[in-house]
Amino acid sequence: MNAAGNRGLTRLDEIIEEFAELEPRERLELLLEFAERLPPLPKRYRAEREAGEHRIPECQTPVYLWVEVADGTVALHADVAPEAPTVQGFVSILVEGLTGADPTDVLTVPRNLLQRLGLLETLGMVRMRGLNSIVQRIINEVRVNSAGNG
Amino acid sequence: MTEEYAHPEVLVTTGWVEAHREDPQVRIVESDEDLLLYNQGHIIGAVRIDWQNDLQDPVVRDYISRPKFEELCAAKGIGNDTAVVFYGDKMNWWACYAFWAFKLYGHEKCFIMNGGRRRWELDQRPYVREEPEYPRTTYRAREPDLSIRAYRDEVLAHQQALKPLIDVRSPGEYTGELLHMPDYPQEGALRGGHIPGAQSVPWSRAVNEDGTFKSRAELEKIYLEEAGLKRDGERVIAYCRIGERSSHTWFVLKYLLGFEDVKNYDGSWTEWGNLVGVPIERSV
Repeated sequence: MNAAGNRGLTRLDEIIEEFAELEPRERLELLLEFAERLPPLPKRYRAEREAGEHRIPECQTPVYLWVEVADGTVALHADVAPEAPTVQGFVSILVEGLTGADPTDVLTVPRNLLQRLGLLETLGMVRMRGLNSIVQRIINEVRVNSAGNG
Repeated sequence: MTEEYAHPEVLVTTGWVEAHREDPQVRIVESDEDLLLYNQGHIIGAVRIDWQNDLQDPVVRDYISRPKFEELCAAKGIGNDTAVVFYGDKMNWWACYAFWAFKLYGHEKCFIMNGGRRRWELDQRPYVREEPEYPRTTYRAREPDLSIRAYRDEVLAHQQALKPLIDVRSPGEYTGELLHMPDYPQEGALRGGHIPGAQSVPWSRAVNEDGTFKSRAELEKIYLEEAGLKRDGERVIAYCRIGERSSHTWFVLKYLLGFEDVKNYDGSWTEWGNLVGVPIERSV
């Protein structure tokens, strides 16, 4: 429990720790593992995906994201173009790290998540800055989706 | 088929690469937009050279220095006589960028695998995950060949003299409607538009759906007839946003169409669109 009485971002913190302990080369391998275990999009969202809805416009790669908030818990679902495993991996970290978390905790995702994961130095500044827009999108949607469930 | 180009010897097919993947005279180099593609699977024997982590200086906005380039080649097992074959994602953008950087330091035997990863995958040829290791070489790079690289002062003089410039960005970037490339917000500039007098020929017009280059006749129609460029006329300078898409067009003009004098302005729009006082044209 943290100061706000919530569970905290336990899984995301674990993932950050896993990455931080690795050498840059190993980080790429771990990122690839995440890319490959991004869960397939649930059937209920496939029609919207086909229609091109829920795309994150700021992201260079086609990234489609669904943010659910129910019973005080966040769940993320995503679909990412297979030719962009870097983005797939980062999205997979967010899905695994934030699903099951409390909405108020999700609002505290570190703004420098890429640095904390050690990915900024591994993948390069120019390439990774666009990924921050995915985190921002999640925070915005959680804020909107949880407003009515207060 | 490729014989029709001005310098067909710089293009190799996916089949040629598969047949030469264990040839000690040949080093296959993958250069991608997405760094992880190489980890996910690459042509057997291929090494990775990354435009950002390997070819760019981490502090100064420039290519790596000559000693660093020598070290890079030595570490990848590339000797001065090695035939280096580049391929990658995104229709060989970064492959052409790496090819250009190798030419900058005077490497003689540079090749592009026509069609890049896309053609390789369409052919259903295999990838592996094992990263090869090669014995170190001793590599001696030449002084940078500035006949293929344009700096901003030269571009300004070129523009003022109304000499041919080619803008290979998307139409929205060219007109000035967009301040960055669609979906690449991190590569912004303070001003939108193009260098006055530059013709718009988006780089992607040079490739087919399968990633291979269009035929010589098709390319001539685009660059000679439509854009009015002359093969043995005045110097042509190509630019884009950070110099990667324009190295693709540079390759097309120089090697496929045989232009005698063509330079890549790698500072491109992220430099020009941020410079104080230079002329800019907008067409929105």
